[in-house]
Amino acid sequence: MLVLTSLCFTAMVLFCLAMTKHREQVIVHEVSILAVHFFRPLAWLLLSFTAYLSVDMYGWSIGPALLFGALTIAILLLTLLLTYRAKIVPKLAIVMSLIAIISIFIS
Amino acid sequence: MKDNFRQSMKWFHTWVGLIVGWILFFMFLTGTLGYFYQEITRWMEPERPFIEHNITNEQLLDTAQAYLNKHAQGIDGWDIYLPNVRDQNLRVGWRHPAEPGKKRGQYKIKVLDIDSGDKVASRATGGGRLLYRMHYRLHYLSTDISYWIVGFCSMLMLLAVITGVVIHKKIFSDFFTFRAKKGLPGWLDIHNVLSVIALPFHFMITYSGLLFFLFTYMALSTYLQTNDDEYREMRKEIYPRTAHLEKANQPAEMLDVSVLYQQTKTAWQDDDLSYVEMYATNDINAQVLFVRHETDITYNPADEVMINAVTGEVIAQQAKEYTGAGMIHNGFFSLHEGQFSGPLARWIYFFTGLIGTAMIASGLILWTTKRKPQQMKKSNGPDFGYRLVEQLNIGTIVGLPIAIAMYFYANRLLPLDMAERAAWEAHVMFISWAILLIYPAFRPGAKAWSEQLTLAALVYLALPLVNALTTDKHLGNSLPQQDWNFAGFDLTFLVVGGCFAFAAYKVKVLQASKRSSKQSGKQRVRQSKPPVLAASESLLSLQQVNKEKC
Amino acid sequence: MSYLFTKFNLASPRWPVFSRILAATFGGYALATASSLFISQLLLNVVGKYQAIHIGLMLTFIVYACAAMWVFSVESASKAWMGLIKLTIFFTITTWLLMQFTGANS
Repeated sequence: MLVLTSLCFTAMVLFCLAMTKHREQVIVHEVSILAVHFFRPLAWLLLSFTAYLSVDMYGWSIGPALLFGALTIAILLLTLLLTYRAKIVPKLAIVMSLIAIISIFIS
Repeated sequence: MKDNFRQSMKWFHTWVGLIVGWILFFMFLTGTLGYFYQEITRWMEPERPFIEHNITNEQLLDTAQAYLNKHAQGIDGWDIYLPNVRDQNLRVGWRHPAEPGKKRGQYKIKVLDIDSGDKVASRATGGGRLLYRMHYRLHYLSTDISYWIVGFCSMLMLLAVITGVVIHKKIFSDFFTFRAKKGLPGWLDIHNVLSVIALPFHFMITYSGLLFFLFTYMALSTYLQTNDDEYREMRKEIYPRTAHLEKANQPAEMLDVSVLYQQTKTAWQDDDLSYVEMYATNDINAQVLFVRHETDITYNPADEVMINAVTGEVIAQQAKEYTGAGMIHNGFFSLHEGQFSGPLARWIYFFTGLIGTAMIASGLILWTTKRKPQQMKKSNGPDFGYRLVEQLNIGTIVGLPIAIAMYFYANRLLPLDMAERAAWEAHVMFISWAILLIYPAFRPGAKAWSEQLTLAALVYLALPLVNALTTDKHLGNSLPQQDWNFAGFDLTFLVVGGCFAFAAYKVKVLQASKRSSKQSGKQRVRQSKPPVLAASESLLSLQQVNKEKC
Repeated sequence: MSYLFTKFNLASPRWPVFSRILAATFGGYALATASSLFISQLLLNVVGKYQAIHIGLMLTFIVYACAAMWVFSVESASKAWMGLIKLTIFFTITTWLLMQFTGANS
């Protein structure tokens, strides 16, 4: 569940970075346009992987239900962070995805 | 209605949401608490022992069977519920024979003390079940009337969800947008964020809520298409049941359930037994059904093992067959109830439910915030309708949480030998709610908000104290015992109380700044934050805090 | 008498709204019921009788919701009523025709 939530969070951060108004909120320096073009496909890729993972871990019925729960929590967290602590979002995304990757490999 | 489709849907969304908003708030809040109804029941029976560690399932089954043999002879079906994360006590249950004139007998659950093997004598209480049943069985009303009211409200909720999606102009480009602004734009953002982030949940919970009473609501169509026999047959197809043998009326010695349990170990690797059902007990046809914790949203035949209790043979069961539509139907039920979820998923269900509750609350507050500037300009004060909505908002959004706290107070403080004690717990809740609904009529809006928020904070912060004074299941004992059910309750009360205190403090500060800005003659009225915004901030922070807990 | 006339002013904007509410609630319910009959007849030979009825019933809430939204989006209350009545009659007649075709006796 935590893995799902953190992966969802990272995917959402990528979506966020693909949108100009939010990217300016989160990152101070300029990002090359080429990199920006990759954010959205990457986000979809990560989201599909998370969906696959949820089904793989919990089965066809429970998996998607938990995925939506994880998405809700991730978006709520991201929205609040964007408003109050926008600058820590990229760092948190990196930390969370690292935790997720490690726990996937452990289990 | 209006010039274009979106405009008329906006109008529709506003009024559909408003007219039953307070009932929906009640349904969402009590329903959300329902995700913890077993935990609430255990908290409301503080005579129950703390968790007993290091007891094997076999020992538990022996204790339960010994009790049932002693106290439930002659009853055809016994159930044993093993301790689990949600309810850490061993429980047994059986259905009494039906009284004359009634369809079914009463179902009684007894909590067992593992040391003495006897039942725990606990106080009379409605528990979590009564509280969560309120969200579809509106307590004082008759069953039929409440089902229809609930159905009507759910239908309007479904309409509000769909029209809400239609009128949201930039659902994707504003996906993460939340501007912590004051007044109307701030409230609109809060309402949008709360709606969008849990949209699948909102739709699922509303639609599945309607499906629960499908045949009641769509009685006309059902009546036109089926006669009584066909109707029964159709229901059997939609809700299939496991077949079991009837009593043969030949007494026979049953094997120990704990011995039979060994048979399941070949099928199940883990020791994850959830409950045991026994049919035709102490009869030659006696059967025992072992059920482990759910691994599928609807039904997984591998989660059940049926054993002949006299010979000890595993009986190959015919798996229940669902139709495609039946699968979807029952899948929606499971999603609604969330019975399959583990502790973490259960907390997420709980927060998502709170998000839904907060969404309704923010929508209601939005209605008044939007009309406030215009209403305040009127020479003879705001309209009756506006004042009524404001009053109902205060009385419900802050009043209902206080009333629910009063339900818990009643559980701890009413005399133990009181007649109709369980019923009075609920009476206390509804009396307090009624008082809090009427009270704002006699106070100016902002004052009423701040006073009720302060009251809510005090009430929740004092609950652990009252718990400590009236029972031995307080934090001083529950934490060392690591009983997270009892401890979690007190901690949650403290967090909720803290949030209300924060909201009340914010409102106070805002009122003071408003007053001083008025005195200094500056025209800053529009800038000052309305108290309701602080209330919603507290709701948001409540969700945040709760989220951190899991 | 004249007081009553002014009180129940038929030109008042409240009456069309009231009429629409009635149309959405009762007309919508009738339409939803008719649509469920139609869907179950349509699926009768595909998935079997009970499942066909069941699917028809499960979809009624969606039909009901769409109908209610439509009632509040058209220009006038009378147009809303007419639309609902026409569609309900259409579903009923088509269901009847389908019944002749499938030979069902429900």
